[in-house]
Amino acid sequence: MKALAVKYRAAARRSRSALGGTLLVGLTLALVTIPQAVAFSVTLAGVPPHFGINAAIWGVLFCALLNPSRIFHGGPNNSMSAAIGVTLLPLCAPFGAEYMGLALTLGLMAGLVQLLFYVIRPLGRMLDLISEPVINGFVCGIGLFLIFKSITTFGGLPLNTEVEWPLWIAWQSFLAVLEIGNLYAIQIGLVTLVTCVVAQQFERLRNWAVLSGIAAGTMYSQYLGATVGHANTLVEQIGNLSTFGVISPSVPLFSQEAMPDIISMVPSAVTLALLGLFQSVAAVRRMNRKSGHYTDSRSAIRADAISNCLLPFLSSLPTCASFNRMWLVHRLGMHSRIAIAVSALWVLLLVLYFAKTIAIIPMPAMAAIVMLLGANMLKWQDIKPHFKHRGEATVFLVSFLSVLFLDLFDAVVLGSLVAIAYAKWQQAHPDVSLNGGVMKIRGNVYYGSLPVIESVYHGAIARGVTDIVIDVRDCHYIDPEGLRWLFMTKARLWGLVDRRSGQDRRAARRDGSAYPERRRSSPDQERTD
Amino acid sequence: MRPVSTMLAKIALLLFAAGGFYLLAVHKHQQRQQARDMPVKLTAACGEKLRKYALAPGERYRSPYVAQRTGTSVELRGYSDEDVRAIQRGCNIIDDTQGRQAADVSSERWNSTRFIRGTHLACTHCHQSAGDKQDAHGNRLKGSLSLGTSWVMADMYDRFTGLLLPYELRQMQCYINSSNGYKPNIADDLIRDVTAYSRFLSAALDLKIGNHYEEQGVDEIAASATLKQGDDYVRGEALYREKCIHCHGAQAAGREVNAQLIAPAIAGPNAWNAQSRNYFNYVSTILPGFICRNMPLGQENTLSNQECRDIASYIGNLPRPAGDRQGPVMALRQQVLMRGMPLLFDLMGTGQTEMPLQQSGRPAP
Repeated sequence: MKALAVKYRAAARRSRSALGGTLLVGLTLALVTIPQAVAFSVTLAGVPPHFGINAAIWGVLFCALLNPSRIFHGGPNNSMSAAIGVTLLPLCAPFGAEYMGLALTLGLMAGLVQLLFYVIRPLGRMLDLISEPVINGFVCGIGLFLIFKSITTFGGLPLNTEVEWPLWIAWQSFLAVLEIGNLYAIQIGLVTLVTCVVAQQFERLRNWAVLSGIAAGTMYSQYLGATVGHANTLVEQIGNLSTFGVISPSVPLFSQEAMPDIISMVPSAVTLALLGLFQSVAAVRRMNRKSGHYTDSRSAIRADAISNCLLPFLSSLPTCASFNRMWLVHRLGMHSRIAIAVSALWVLLLVLYFAKTIAIIPMPAMAAIVMLLGANMLKWQDIKPHFKHRGEATVFLVSFLSVLFLDLFDAVVLGSLVAIAYAKWQQAHPDVSLNGGVMKIRGNVYYGSLPVIESVYHGAIARGVTDIVIDVRDCHYIDPEGLRWLFMTKARLWGLVDRRSGQDRRAARRDGSAYPERRRSSPDQERTD
Repeated sequence: MRPVSTMLAKIALLLFAAGGFYLLAVHKHQQRQQARDMPVKLTAACGEKLRKYALAPGERYRSPYVAQRTGTSVELRGYSDEDVRAIQRGCNIIDDTQGRQAADVSSERWNSTRFIRGTHLACTHCHQSAGDKQDAHGNRLKGSLSLGTSWVMADMYDRFTGLLLPYELRQMQCYINSSNGYKPNIADDLIRDVTAYSRFLSAALDLKIGNHYEEQGVDEIAASATLKQGDDYVRGEALYREKCIHCHGAQAAGREVNAQLIAPAIAGPNAWNAQSRNYFNYVSTILPGFICRNMPLGQENTLSNQECRDIASYIGNLPRPAGDRQGPVMALRQQVLMRGMPLLFDLMGTGQTEMPLQQSGRPAP
């Protein structure tokens, strides 16, 4: 009996500590998410802060429920928010009713596109073909873009209403901040930035860096307000959040007047959908390798798609994986979907009960945080490996520069095309070596690579080599055209086994023929010395 | 755990960078203040115009123009020294946007050239007589794109996009498309000074907020207001050779003699871009309206609606820069056309000639 009591007490202690851990991890995540949510919605997407906060509550909750990964943290995302701003700013004035309606419509359209990626399985599988240099090029490009985008808010200047030629606008905005920026705003921004970076230098404070930066910026803003007066500093603050309710229902805008705008938004919706899916799939792939767990990337697509179809009806920004918050979950060591769901509930409680405190956060502090998050996306450790290989470096640079010089949709298309072209180019250039009479092929033998192989083969014949042996032991894949060519040559073949694609093999099995007729009928064609 | 020295070095570098940035900002702010405190050296046209309207610092302002035209004196709130300088700078920016008459463009024209790609266009080319065109009797002219009347429609809805366009945003559109340039920040001094000048014009001319005036914008010429012969490129070219080539040149690339601009480019790299509403193939009614009301200089209102549309159609078919939202492919195509077409014309020897200049610098009639 006594032993049972001891066991019960130990179990209770364990569950209490597990509960405590879950609550603490949830609170940490919530405190990290709130400033990001507000900053992304106000400075990047051009919508009121409750859009980001709703995404931090409902987006995170839906993803925790739908995604089996134990460290997947959804919620507001910087590049998706920036894409919303880029799309809608030329169409109507930010923070207006029409703008908010169109933002919800854009989110819903992106959700529907994502749903297509889930329902049509090969389409979802295509996302796995986007290589790492493309994603890294994208992430770095968007990181720089975030820095540029926040410069005007950092200097207390109004946003430029249209965002094209971001590099040039960024330079103009930088000069404008130096010449006509609000010096109080610049001071607040710099205090936030310095505090945040200093906190990041200390291992223990790293997870609190964003929060401490915002706290320092807000306190300095309040100090300026007390000494100089808010009427003189003219620094913008987030504003009243006290009307925030638990659920804020909303309907995306689909009026007849808005139809031309909605139709013009379709490419942007596809971009937005792809931006979200790229990040979610890439994050799942990367965190799978880090944490040792395995989560199917298709379930990430499903979670994102369903969440993004629901969120526009809850006044929320779209959701996708957040690298920095997932990294935080991993580092806190609490791999649990409950902790992630609890973080969403913490956000709700904090916003309901600390709305007045959040309202006084100055906008330049928010801009400083977005700039810092953008800078954190430019990681030399991630980029460095790509520069060891010329092809990868090209793909990376094309993807990176296209974000800066083209619009996001063109960048997505161009980056993907370059990645596929690069992969095809690699496959079409197998390593063919001729040593004595032995021609060794490392790589693929298919219609694309045959010209390369044939030129070496006929070159050898032209040089008078008569008895050629083709060694295909290191071939990964031989397509039907490759097989036909191999059998047509007068050379002897070495190490030919079934290297057809999975699709061809399955088709052959269905037909009941394991190998091409020619090979079965004349086994001495393949002479292994 | 990284070494403490590295960490300290990083923090020191950060503080140094942040401090440097702040000091640079303070220095730039001081420079700007100095430029704004400097007495303004007016261009000839601005000097004459502002003298005529008796702009001077004071408690109250009475416009001599209004007194002369109506016989009654309207008393308005006056201008401070700072206001007067802003208005003077605004007028200078309109009249000499490229700073050709300024000793130091960056301070005297407040970096206006930073926001324009070409070297020809100035605001006064469309908004003629520094945005306030009048005949010899002081009558304001219909369709003359007057800035004062534009200001009184301070926040108007854009007819094309349905967006609410404050006066400042309309100026930005001029920079982006009509000058084929870049937009300044909405809080930039460039925008503020021009707004101050336009607002002063509306006071000097006693214009009422929200009213519609004939000199506001141009009265557009739709195809239905013509002889309905269609917009003919060939007729347009013939008319261009007859009426426009003397000033704007054989390739419509403008005319510059001894670094003096005789007439601005209306096609080619120095002209407005293909996203501007002056571009005939984008909005087909504005350029014909402008031509009918304002061209050729000194012979305004002499061309028929059909002729204006024909000329506009010809000009619209000449190559010009792509707009910034038309994408890199269009930009490249237009660049190739702009660089290549003049060479082709030269090779073909089309025989278009420019007229010799008179002593005054104006082409001989």
